[in-house]
Amino acid sequence: MIHKNRTIYRSLIIGSFIGVLMILIFGISQILSYLNTGADRSTMLHQSLQKEKVYFPKLVWKDTLNPGRPIEKQTLLDIEQDYLNAWYIRNVAYQTNTIDGVEDYYTKNARQHIYNLVAYNRDRDIEIHSTTLDHSISLDFYSADGQLAVISDNQVQEYQRVYQKQQLQLEEKLQSNYQMLLLLEDGFWRIRHMVKKSVDDRKLINRTQENGFANIIDGKIYLNDKQYKIKGINYYPQETPWNMFGDHFDSKVIAKDFDIIKKAGLNTIRIFVPYKIFGKGKVRPEMLDQFGQVLDSAASKNLQVIVTLFDFYGDYSVLDWTLTHRHAEQIVSSFKDHKAILAWDIKNEPNLDFASRKKENVVAWLSEMIDQIRQYDSNHLITIGWSDMTSATILQNKVDMVSFHYYKNIDDFETNYQQLVSKIDKPLVLQEFGLSSSRGLWSPFGASEKTQAHYYEQFQKINQQNDIHYLSWTLYDFKEVPSSVVGKLPWRKHKQKHFGFIDSNGKKKPAFEFIRE
Amino acid sequence: MRLFRKNIIFLGSVIFICATSIAFTTFYTKPKEVSAKLVSTQKVFEAGETISLDFELNTPVKTTLFLHASFGSANIDPVEPTTTRFVIPSFIARKKGKISYKLIYESEVLVKGVVDVIANTRTEVSLESYIGPPSIVAGGKDYTMHVVIPTDAYDNPFPDSTVVAIKHQFMKVENENTLYSKDMIAWKNIFSYKQSGRLLLFSKVGETASKEFSVEMYSALPEDFVISSDRKHVYADGNQITELSTSIIKDMYGNVVSDGTLVQFVIKDASGAILQTQGSTLYGKAVARVLHPDHKDTWQIKAYVYGMAESNELTLSYQPIIDDFEVKFAKENREIVVGPLVSFMQQLIPDGATVKLMIFKEQKKIDTKISTSSNGKVRFLLKDGFYEAGIYDIHISALGVQKKYKKVLLQ
Repeated sequence: MIHKNRTIYRSLIIGSFIGVLMILIFGISQILSYLNTGADRSTMLHQSLQKEKVYFPKLVWKDTLNPGRPIEKQTLLDIEQDYLNAWYIRNVAYQTNTIDGVEDYYTKNARQHIYNLVAYNRDRDIEIHSTTLDHSISLDFYSADGQLAVISDNQVQEYQRVYQKQQLQLEEKLQSNYQMLLLLEDGFWRIRHMVKKSVDDRKLINRTQENGFANIIDGKIYLNDKQYKIKGINYYPQETPWNMFGDHFDSKVIAKDFDIIKKAGLNTIRIFVPYKIFGKGKVRPEMLDQFGQVLDSAASKNLQVIVTLFDFYGDYSVLDWTLTHRHAEQIVSSFKDHKAILAWDIKNEPNLDFASRKKENVVAWLSEMIDQIRQYDSNHLITIGWSDMTSATILQNKVDMVSFHYYKNIDDFETNYQQLVSKIDKPLVLQEFGLSSSRGLWSPFGASEKTQAHYYEQFQKINQQNDIHYLSWTLYDFKEVPSSVVGKLPWRKHKQKHFGFIDSNGKKKPAFEFIRE
Repeated sequence: MRLFRKNIIFLGSVIFICATSIAFTTFYTKPKEVSAKLVSTQKVFEAGETISLDFELNTPVKTTLFLHASFGSANIDPVEPTTTRFVIPSFIARKKGKISYKLIYESEVLVKGVVDVIANTRTEVSLESYIGPPSIVAGGKDYTMHVVIPTDAYDNPFPDSTVVAIKHQFMKVENENTLYSKDMIAWKNIFSYKQSGRLLLFSKVGETASKEFSVEMYSALPEDFVISSDRKHVYADGNQITELSTSIIKDMYGNVVSDGTLVQFVIKDASGAILQTQGSTLYGKAVARVLHPDHKDTWQIKAYVYGMAESNELTLSYQPIIDDFEVKFAKENREIVVGPLVSFMQQLIPDGATVKLMIFKEQKKIDTKISTSSNGKVRFLLKDGFYEAGIYDIHISALGVQKKYKKVLLQ
């Protein structure tokens, strides 16, 4: 018995000894591996820093002549990149009231001023959402050893929204002139001094409409000096709904569809430019090429195009503005002279994002985007595709024509429409309407194809009587609807599949007869 | 009955009066348009000064003041909740630049304006100097740039046209320049002098002087130079060393080139082969060494500082030390003893002289044996395991002399 106990004790002692050793070794190895993690020494040089560009305000170098020494192209790019990053980091700091990254772009003395302000605003629960839109820089000085530069940044446009205790206090746009002294430290061009030299109250350059292809006169749309009535349809190819551009792009299919639309007696189509697929802030050239092909094809069939930008975009935050501005700039300025375009539709149904993104965010973004697009294109009209009539009055003074969608009861339409007419003195466009012939397993009480035809017959009558610009939804029934459009629920998808005038087998549905008035 | 009618009229008029008075009150209590104006007059402030802005409101309401300054924006409250006096936080009031302000009441801007904060030149000046490049080449073409950023005690750059004195000293020269700042900085290019050496610089604004900075001026490109040789004797003994040295190498202004300038000596021998040796300069002079050849030879020597300067050509001849040597064959010709090898005074040659033995059979070289002398002699053994019995030709060469033995019979 004693013998047995001794063995148990022995094994317990040895076991616990081994256990303690294991824990010790494990602990030491964890400490060692922790000490080994972190920065590689080579990162001290900041040579291999992979930075995705997230800040794209418009920046122009006005002049690089300076008394110090001629500047190299590479250095110019370095200064530009770091300078913009400095603004971005500053914007982030004041929005989040944190100081991450400030030390990379401001020297030891300069960053103190930002820290002070961040601490002050944090104490008082103030958040400042800001971005810069425009920089026009001239180089005042560049030192012989390439370590110091002085730049003037004139007419810096800053947009700011000030929140206190989450309440919007002020929204404003400022224009100021700055002078900066930058030093090259640790591979970064850091701001050493920053002086706001003056407030530039000059009116921001806003081009007015001059000899545009499309005009609004007395609440009527004019195209090439002739009054124009939109009789149109929203268009996606049958096989690639919501995914027209990219790998599945097929110009032949599109050209054929345009023939169908033209033959049906329509004169306008509405297409969508997806923000992400087109490359966000850096628009992919092949996308522009495909987009151009669609426009050319439309032009050859004598169809006008309403281009809805920023499809599937939903950020709207002030920090994201510059990316979207460059996105719009690249597309709009590339096609500003294209005769096929009737209007730029800034965003499809932005009012649906009011709840999740805050109305003030969305409206401010839209408002600025209208200004941006006007800068680059004075030939075409601008509109916003509101999802209902209630939102249609928002920004009505800034758009050229007011677009809205209507999927509610047809009987209420005329009354609502007349009310809207009394509130808005710009052309109104019924940009989407339609009825899904969705009767089937997923919706036993849905409309039949006959009901759909009847619906269109009635609606076209209303359109004719009230002389309404209309675009119906949509040409085809689709076999597949991406989940990103209406969500994953099968009955929703099912409904969305049957809005077409042509069914999934390519047969014209009864409604096709009423595709136009 | 009449009473009743009277009552009705009375009641009616009361209701009428009440209604109208209510209507009027609602009409008159409609919020009056709030307006405000700035009372304080000062528009320009020196950094560090207290900036207080007083406004006058037509209706007492709670306002806030939005500020937009050089380093960012802030929203401030009045000093006391009931007043409209705002004091700009000191860390903003300390920074140079325009401060835009907007008086806000319920997201509406009541008054807007700008105050200007200028650098406080009465505070102690601090000077930030940047000098680069830190080393330049003498001769007056190269230069270094001295940049001075004068700032006030709050780290604000001084206004344009601030007087900055910069001074530098080099040997006996002490030079002073007066500069006027522009774009936050004052700067000057300082060109090198003809002599090499160290340049000391500093700058001064008012009474404040910077610390001392130095810039090294190195001599310019070397000029062509002369080489000479030094050897203990003229014999090609393969043992002594010839020393090659340059004159003191200088640049075009007479500055001795920097220590460590590499000089490459290129030697071309009589057969056209190239030998190289190198040395680096110390006080302008480079020395390189090379072993004497072990046979009669003539060397043509030239030195280069590659890409910059070269020397004259030097010719050195080496005399042979022997005309002939003894060879003894023994042990059925399988042992060959060369030597004694004697030098120019008949002394035994120092150990280590190379002797080469080449063995031919039927006109074909089958082996080469190389050995070095010891006590003036070299012994070769041709073992029968390696060399079958037969007739061989044997050539022996040492110190530039070659001897041939034909048809040597090995048993």
